[in-house]
Formats: sequence, structure tokens, C-alpha cells
Amino acid sequence: MKIEWTKTPIGRRKFLKGATALGATAALPMGFGGSALAQESGTLRVRAYGDAPNMDPAHSVGVVEEEIHSSIYNKLVQYKPGSEWGWQLDAASSIEQVDPTHIKFALRDDIGFTNGHGAMTAEDVKFSFERIIADETESPNKPDMGPLSHVEVTGEREGTIVLNEPFAPLWSIALPYITGNIVSKSAVEGAGGRINSEPVAESGPYLRASWSPKAKTVLQRNPDWKGDAPAWDTIEIYPIDDENTAEIAFEAGELDLTRVSLGSVARYRDGVPNGGTLVENPSLFYVWLGMNLDHPKLQNQKLRQAIQHAIDVPTILEASYFGAADPSTGIIAPGLAGNRAEGLVAAEANVEKAMALLAESGESNVTLTLDILNKTTYTTMAQVIQAMLAQIGIALEINVLESGAFWASGDNENLQLVLNRYSMAPDPSYATAWFTSAQAGIWNWERFRNEEFDAIHSAASAETDTAKRATMYQRAQDLMEESGAYRFITHEATPVIHSSRVIPALRPDGLSLLRYFGKA
Amino acid sequence: MEKSQSEIRIIIVGIAKNPLGFMGLVIVGAIVFSAIFAAWIVPYDPIEMNIRDRMQGPSWSHLLGTDQLGRDTFSRVITGGQVALKVALPAVFGAMAIGLTLGMVAGYGPKWLDNFLMLLFDTIRSFPTVMFALAVVALVGPSLQTVVLVVMATSIPTYGRVARTQTLTLRNSEFILAERSMGASMARILGVHMLPNIIGVLAVLAAMDIPTVIALEAGLSFLGLGVKPPTPSWGALLKDGYALVRQTPWLVIGGGLPIIVATLGFTFLGESLRDVVDPKLRKNQ
Amino acid sequence: MLIFTLKRFALAALILFVAVTLMFLMIRAVPGDPVQIMLGPRATPELQARLTAELALDQPIFRQLIIFYGNMLQGDLGTDVFSGRAVTQIVFQQLPFTLELIFGSIIWSAGLGIFLGAYAASYPNTLIDRMVAIASVSFVAAPAFVVALLSLLLFAVHLRWFPAIGAGNGFWDRMEHLVLPSFAIGLSWVGYIARLVRASMLEVLGEHHIRTARAFGLAERRVVLVYALRIAILPVVTVIGVGMGFLLSSAVFAEIVFARPGLGKLVIDSITTRNYPIFMGSVLVSTGLFVVSTALADLINAWLDPRARSAK
Repeated sequence: MKIEWTKTPIGRRKFLKGATALGATAALPMGFGGSALAQESGTLRVRAYGDAPNMDPAHSVGVVEEEIHSSIYNKLVQYKPGSEWGWQLDAASSIEQVDPTHIKFALRDDIGFTNGHGAMTAEDVKFSFERIIADETESPNKPDMGPLSHVEVTGEREGTIVLNEPFAPLWSIALPYITGNIVSKSAVEGAGGRINSEPVAESGPYLRASWSPKAKTVLQRNPDWKGDAPAWDTIEIYPIDDENTAEIAFEAGELDLTRVSLGSVARYRDGVPNGGTLVENPSLFYVWLGMNLDHPKLQNQKLRQAIQHAIDVPTILEASYFGAADPSTGIIAPGLAGNRAEGLVAAEANVEKAMALLAESGESNVTLTLDILNKTTYTTMAQVIQAMLAQIGIALEINVLESGAFWASGDNENLQLVLNRYSMAPDPSYATAWFTSAQAGIWNWERFRNEEFDAIHSAASAETDTAKRATMYQRAQDLMEESGAYRFITHEATPVIHSSRVIPALRPDGLSLLRYFGKA
Repeated sequence: MEKSQSEIRIIIVGIAKNPLGFMGLVIVGAIVFSAIFAAWIVPYDPIEMNIRDRMQGPSWSHLLGTDQLGRDTFSRVITGGQVALKVALPAVFGAMAIGLTLGMVAGYGPKWLDNFLMLLFDTIRSFPTVMFALAVVALVGPSLQTVVLVVMATSIPTYGRVARTQTLTLRNSEFILAERSMGASMARILGVHMLPNIIGVLAVLAAMDIPTVIALEAGLSFLGLGVKPPTPSWGALLKDGYALVRQTPWLVIGGGLPIIVATLGFTFLGESLRDVVDPKLRKNQ
Repeated sequence: MLIFTLKRFALAALILFVAVTLMFLMIRAVPGDPVQIMLGPRATPELQARLTAELALDQPIFRQLIIFYGNMLQGDLGTDVFSGRAVTQIVFQQLPFTLELIFGSIIWSAGLGIFLGAYAASYPNTLIDRMVAIASVSFVAAPAFVVALLSLLLFAVHLRWFPAIGAGNGFWDRMEHLVLPSFAIGLSWVGYIARLVRASMLEVLGEHHIRTARAFGLAERRVVLVYALRIAILPVVTVIGVGMGFLLSSAVFAEIVFARPGLGKLVIDSITTRNYPIFMGSVLVSTGLFVVSTALADLINAWLDPRARSAK
């Protein structure tokens, strides 16, 4: 049995608050990749939104590191560039799901590790995958490997991945993303089991030639790479967290590719400087207004519903994203199983209904606080919401927090309303994981507790029938919305500009797959 | 403190005689006037949004255009002047009052207290302002009051040091020694005799400090640590302008011009005030 | 003089101690659990527990402080969780970028400031003097991030005279990358130094030996440049020492806008991620830098003007 998920993409979960963990002040974990007009024609210059100090996939905290890891390490399968989620072979010469819990693979025979660590074998695959789930590794990415039991080595380059139970995200997250990177067993064991800022042995089409902290990472073509030769000799990755700076650098000819702010999309639609091109990609991230169900002021469900209906999402998107993003219906984006075509509450506001609900609730003189992160997008959004709630007679005070304090909101019992944005990987289970009862007060800031939701979350990952799985996740989002604790806003978008020298290879959500970049 | 009205008039006339001083007086007067009467001057409500008309260039209906929420930039600039003074005046005068008191105590009081206070001043001064501000804002959350607090805390040492130096100089002057021999209390000596002689120098410092305070608020706003939205501070205007500079340059102009004009006004006022208050300096020129 | 020097440095060490202790306590009072924020949402409880123990966060605060100073005296500021690198290594790798930025901006502000100040003083109370005054004062409160942005748009995007981002490689490339950022943060100081030079210059020009030089018929330019300026520059030297703290603050903005590595950016990032070890490392180095430079400024001052020694 082979699971096809190119047609009905299954999402995979990715890291929620990648940015925080990484330490970027910005919680804008998308911008990435790109290349610049280098003087030397063989150099591609791209932007990352943060620095990548860690070369250990087991301890990778998100896309910034993964962009480098996926260039210097190999996986059995890699994401396929394009507008639909899918995978293609990399280190595996063949891979097949023989039954819901067994996946047989064979490795190519021409991949070797640097620093004298020899050819890549099935032992390396076993080591890399089992290492993720081993307790002593303390890998934050352990959930990505889900119910992995072990890897059976059946030949020097052959093996079988054995699961404890069926696991739908295996093909969408576990194998082609962070946890799928294969490291050298002898090299990692030799380094005491942990990789730090030096990759101890590399095998990909690129090698990490140098890293200047907070300045740049340089990748160079791996001379021993036997697969399809990458188009660029050198890739320079610049950590730039300010979107404005990245756009200026592109326009000054110092970058070949960068993610741009949604506010700049309209301008770039009229033309990208230096003969460049704008590519507008959807995004999987989700932005919403949450209400803390445990707060005494928010006990009244009619009040919460009044707030849901008073907020006009199209206006918010026009104001803070300049119309470059569409309204969302939940936490699961279009293209992933479980996306809802429509939410229970329409994107447009219904002020009469909101006022009626407020009157029904019997609450008067309502004053609430709204906590937001200190980025222009959120301050703009919050001010629009403030004006909308004022229309139905709710006074809103905006609390602007720097990122450290904002991301600590989980244990803030005084939290009332909050504008939040989580990052995402292409599997729906990645989104629902944060809203279970167990997460209440950790990453479930609304403290939404619903037994049916929890049951759906744990059952849906083992459901391999995509249609059934989709229905389950749709129901889960209905439950969230019915609680009145959520007003879903948008999945944003990932607009990317690139110079005329480059043929970019992007995931459907706009993130770069550097090893597949071409030359124009 | 006990300057009679005629003395104040002499000072103002003295300032006005100097062309730069006159200019400073006019600018500062205009800023104070527009801040006090902002509500009557502004053509629009500074926080009223009209998203359809956002990011316009200057026109007769919007003198400085509109921002990303369609709010009138001119109205926000004028109201922003009010915010600037609300931050700058309490911060500068608060810092001056505390710095003056501590400085005089340090200069006149026991040696150990002097040492302790100087150590405190030097410690505060040794943090880069931004680092200190970030920590304070993270601690208590951003707001107008926080900005005032940060500015006050970081500028107390400057006033304190100057006040201390002046006190040290005065403490051995003949008239203070005479007072002391007649058994005047410390409070009396400091309050009645020293204060009037020190306050002039500090007033000069305060006038010149106001632009720095305004610039600091802008810097904090840029880092997302300024006043709460939708309060229209010049710094918040500049921050939005920074993010949107290639969509519309008018927010940067709208936020930047008043800062430059205010700087000129307060600096010239301060310099000519110094010339009047401290004629010694003038003699050399 | 020796005793004064020793005393001054003892004071510097004391200030550093108090400042670092204060920041140590402050960052721990700020809300936000460093373990949770640094490790991200998916960290295992075991890893969180291990890091908590490693950072001694489970200890009473005064014990933490003692541990911190104990390690510090052995030159150990801790290890970064992500890269496994020593904090001292991380901080000292970023320091040169900020230092060259600060020196670059001192060159800009002192160069322009001394020139404008001397020029204005040569023509006191004329239209030129007033124009210089207005021009230089307008820069005083120009926020560094706005100057940075505008100079980027003009010189990097439109004219393409200078590179836009990063710090460059190799000596000349680095110098080239330094021009715009150092200008952006040096500009606000130009006015300050210009006024200082103008005032001290006017004082010097009024002094006896200058008048004598003039009476001997020396060319006016020579009088201004050689005799007056040399003396008038002295206060600038001490001002620059004090200015280190100010420039260190402004460096943050240039580092963000120009995507430059540096200490300022390191401090901001470490505060917002509650990375205590890196934060304390950068606090120690940046306040240390300031304390030493003010002490040096005081010493130079005392050396030039013995009265300053007794006034202390």
C-alpha cells in the first residue's frame, strides 16, 4: 500500500512558535531563502529570517535551521518543489509502505559522509530515526516521529521502518522534514551523541563552508556528491529579521531571493526592481483572536459570541495586510486535510447580531484588554479591532508586549483577549496539538477544554483514510469556534521576490528548498 | 524659586534679543500652543480610521496625507506634540527635581552619602539606555508612564552631577559660610540660598534635554516599546513610517519634521537661556 | 597621579559590579521563563529540567548571583544552549563589529563636528555661524533608525555608492560596509561636538597668546588651525569617552536596519529570548566598555588639567 498524498495533501506539523525559540524578536518565521546578484555568477544569495546556530536535526527549532540541514544532510525523501504538497526520492532509491505500520526502503549506494565517515548505510538511518525518539536525546522534535517503534536493518543499504500504529503524518512531516535528516552514526557517536554548531559529517549536495554568527552562513558545492549536480556553486544565507532591510537589500542588488512583507505586495505587483519576479504563495500559518475561557470577565458565552460577530475580518486584512491575505476558517489551511470551506461565523462582521448577542448576554460597560506582540502588523490589527468593538460598546485596551513577555502568556491567568499567530507544518495534527486540554495554560492560551476535541486529536493521526481524517479535523474546528473563544482571521501568505538569475524551488508554502534551486 | 515676575520678564526679554533665542521662543511657544489647543486645531479625530482613504499623499483635505488606517497625519502630528510634551515635561522636570535634591544632598551632606549617590549615578549612567529601557519595559510593560519612567531614571544622574558640582562650589562661598555660622539649618541653606543659584544652570540643561527625550521616545517606539496604540506619538508615527516608507514617504516626513523643529526650538531656547542666566559664559564671547 | 589612577579604576570596578548585579536581578524579575522561551514549545520536560539545573534557576537568587560571579572570575560565562558555544566566545565574536561601528561614528561626528565648529567660530555671529548652528542642531535629535533608513534608500538603492547590508569581508570591504551605518549613528552627535568646539574655540581665540600670534601677523588660517584648534579640541576627547554609552545604544538601531552583526543586536535578542547567559555576557562587556572609557576620559582630563584631580 502506498499512500498518495500529492492529490490530497496531508499536512504535517511543524513548529509552532519557531521564531520565539529561535530567539528572533520577530515572530515572523517564514521569510527565507533567496539569492542575490552576486558578482561571482556561481553565488546565490538568499535571506533567512534568523541565524542558525545548531546543526543537529534532533534539536532543530524550525525552518531556518532546516533550510541548511536539508542542503547538507540527506533524507529518504524530500519535499517536491511546486504548488502542491508531495515528496520525491532523495537518499532512498526506493521506498514503499508495505502495510499501515511497515515501510520498506533501500538506499542509494553513492552517498558518503565527509570527514572519513564512509558510505551511508541503513545503520545510519536506524541511528538517526531512533535517536529522535530516544529519551536521552531530549529531542523537541520527538512528536514528529509519532509512533515510530524502530528501524529494522535488513541489509547494508536496506531496512524497514516499523510503527506501533498507523501514522498519517509520516509522509508529510516525519520523513521529508526535520526528523527525516540522516546523520552519520559513527560521527555523532564520536562527538558524544550531540551535534552543536559544527556539523560533524555531511552528505548532501552542499557542505557548510563557514558560519559567521549573525552575519552569514556559506554553503559550498559538495565535490563528492554523486546525485544531480546542484546549479549553484555557493549559497550565502544572510540572517535578516527586518523585512524592510531585506527588501532594500534586494533592491540594492545584494540578495537574489527574499520573502517580502505583505504590505509590499501591491507595490511589487506593479513590478519588481532589477527585472525580478514576485511569487505569491499561500501560507499554512494561522492568525486568530483568542479569548481566555478561564477569565472571570469572559465567562458569558453570549459576550464571546458578540465579539466574534463584531469583528470584520476583511477590514482587518485590508488594514494590516493590504489585502494580500485571505480570511481563514480555522487553524487548518486550504490544501491540507481538514480545511473547512466555511466557518460557523462568517468572515464579515454582523454588527446587529453582535449587538443583539451583547444585549442578550446582559453585560454592560464591558472593558477588556487585548495582548499583542510589538510588531506593526499586530498594532494595526489591534487598533482596527479596538474600533470595531467600540461600535458595539466594548472598550478595549491594547497591551503591547515584547516577544519574551508575549510568548510567556501561557501561564498568564490575567490574559483576556490575545492576538496570536502560530507557525505550521503540512499536517493538520500539527495545529490541533496545541489546543488540547493538556496544553491548557501552556500553549492553549484560551484554556479551551473539550473532551471530544481531545479524542479527535489523538484518533486522527492514526486514521489513514484521508476523507475520514478530514471530517474529523473539520469537526474539531467547529468545536473550537462554538466555544466562542476563537475568532479566526487568516493564514497570511508568503510573497517572495527573486532576481532574474534564479529559478527558485519553493515548497507550496513559499519556503525555499535550496538544493533544488536552478539558474536562469 | 523666588524669582519675581520682573525677573522672569528680564530673562524672556534677554532671550528674545538674541535672534536664535527669539526663534527658539517662537518655536517652543508654537509647540506648546498647538499642544494645549490640539483638540481645536486638528481637522480630524487623530484616532478615527477610514481605511478606504489610507496612505494618501498631501492634499487640501489631508495636509500631510493619511496613514495605513486612513487617519489624518496632520491631526496625529499635532496631537503627537501633546504626547511629546506629556512625556518630556514630567520626565525632564521629574529628573531635574530628583537630580537636584540628590545632587544637593550629595554635595552638602556627609561624605559617605556623597560617595553612595555618586556610585548610584555612575551605575545608572553606565547602562546603554536601550538595554536599560528594554529591561524596564519588559518588566512593567510599555506605556506612556513607562517611557517617562525610563527617561527620568536615565537622566537623573546628569542633573544630579551638575547640582552636586554647583553645591560643592557654593558650599564654601562666603555667604553660605556666614549663614552657617549663624546656625541656619541645612534645609534652609539648601532651599533658600543654594537652590536659586543652581536652578538656573539646571533649567538650561533641561531645555536642551527635551529633544533628547523626544528622540529617545522615537527609538523606543521603533523597538516596539513606546506608548500604547492608538496614542499618536511622533515615535509611533515614525515607526509606522519606517515600515511603510516605500508605500508613502509622508509618515516619515510627518513624524520626522516636528522632531527636528522641536529640537531646534528647545536647543536655541536653552542656549540663549544660558547666556542670560550665566553671563560669565557670555563674557568670553 | 598614580593614586588617582588606581582610585579611578577601583571605582570603575565597583560601578561595574553594582551595574552587573542590578541587571542580573532585573532580568530575573522580568516575566517569561527562559527555559520555556529558549527551548521553544516542544521541548521535553526532561530537557527543561536539565537546563533549569544547568542555569541554576532552581537555586535561590542570591546563590545564583554567587555562582555567576564565581564562574565569571574563572572566565566562564556559561554556554549557549543552541550552539553549545561558550558565551565568552559568542560575545567577543560580536564585539569587534560594534567597536568598529562606534569608532566609525566617532570619526564621522568628530570630523564633521570639529570642522563645522571651527568654521562657525571663525565667523562668530555671522549668517554662516547661524546656518551652521541650525544645520548641526537639527541633527541632534534625528532618530538613528530614520537616518539609517533614508541613507540606505539614497546611497545603497538609488545611487548604489555603498553596500546595504552586512559587515563585509576583508579590510576594504568592511570599511565600505561601515560608511553608512556609522554615519547614521554619528550624525546626531555632529551638532553636539560642533557646538562644543565652537564654544571652546571662541574662548581660546580670545586668549592672550592667540591675540599675540595674530599681532605678529600670522595668517588667520594658520592661527585658527594650528594654535586655536589644537587647544579647542581637548574637551572633545573627554566627551567622546562619555559618549561610548550613547553610541552603544544607537548601535542597536544601525545593527537592526543594516542587518549587521554586533553587540547591540545580541543584547536585544538575548533580552527578548530571555537568554540569561548571553544577556549577562553582553551586559558585562558593554557596561565594562563604558566604565573603562569614562575612566580613561577622566584620566586624560586629569592629566591635562591637574585641578580635576583634586576636585574629585
